[in-house]
Amino acid sequence: MLSVVTRALCLVGGGALLGLLVNGTRPNGVRFASFAPPSVCTMTPAGGEHGPGPAPVESLEPRDAAGLCGDPSTLIADVRPATEFAQGHVTGAIHLPCTASGQAASAAVDLVAGRQTLIVYGAGTDDARRVADELRQRVHRRDLRIVVVSGGFGAWNQAGLACSSGPCVHCAAAPAAGGR
Amino acid sequence: MNAVLFLLRVALGALLIVAGLLKLRDPTAFATEIANYQLLPTGAAMLAAVLPAIEVVIGLSLIALSRAWRRGAAAAALALFVTFTGAVASAYFRRINIDCGCFGTGGGPISALTLARNLTLTAGCLILLRFDRAPAPGARLSG
Repeated sequence: MLSVVTRALCLVGGGALLGLLVNGTRPNGVRFASFAPPSVCTMTPAGGEHGPGPAPVESLEPRDAAGLCGDPSTLIADVRPATEFAQGHVTGAIHLPCTASGQAASAAVDLVAGRQTLIVYGAGTDDARRVADELRQRVHRRDLRIVVVSGGFGAWNQAGLACSSGPCVHCAAAPAAGGR
Repeated sequence: MNAVLFLLRVALGALLIVAGLLKLRDPTAFATEIANYQLLPTGAAMLAAVLPAIEVVIGLSLIALSRAWRRGAAAAALALFVTFTGAVASAYFRRINIDCGCFGTGGGPISALTLARNLTLTAGCLILLRFDRAPAPGARLSG
């Protein structure tokens, strides 16, 4: 006489075998070797059910965004590829490209805790906005200001602003004044 | 009581069959939904391949098999729903804003309602497991 648990295990095992068989024979079955977990920009956006709707993502000109640089309540995220990030980035920026894992996005969400402003920049405006929109969906704080830098790092750098790349002496000298 | 148990197991069985079939439509999208929970990032593809079929098998067993196997199916469904409830609760309390993936890609975002629904289904399985059993030897005579 089979016990309830044994029967349950038989059903689950049989179902699992059937699933593997069906998946292996289907042309659109999930491929174990090539499946990649979602990245920052491919995670499923969902409605904000934990509270009121999120505040919109703002766009700021580089000069205005740089005014927030060096403020300890500001976090800066660079969404460009790793090679470009390595060549130069806004001082103190975290690297959060679109291709970063979902875990990286969650880590960024944790870093945002206690901050008032998140500045996101990319090679241009659109790549930064994709990441900013995703983070807006994941961080349920209406008091968090999320800012995309118009024109991206190039525009910031061309403007010759403080913190554009490497050490930021201005930020260290006058953090309360926004690092300028 | 028997009618209630019949309706309950048919409803649970049908729900599992529908949920499994909907997930079977696009297993890669379902794997993404699983990975979004950030609980088993490396096992998402494997789970996406086996879970829908397990749900269908358990659902069919709840509806069509003998009482002994139905109880096994109820136990398996209970284990499934406890696991699902744990995953949903984990995402809800970590405030991860993702779709539930409960019915493939059309499950809607995780909310307190999702959690309540899973708890209700878990309770349904417990009721089946507790009451859908062979009558005691003397029950028929005394009844």
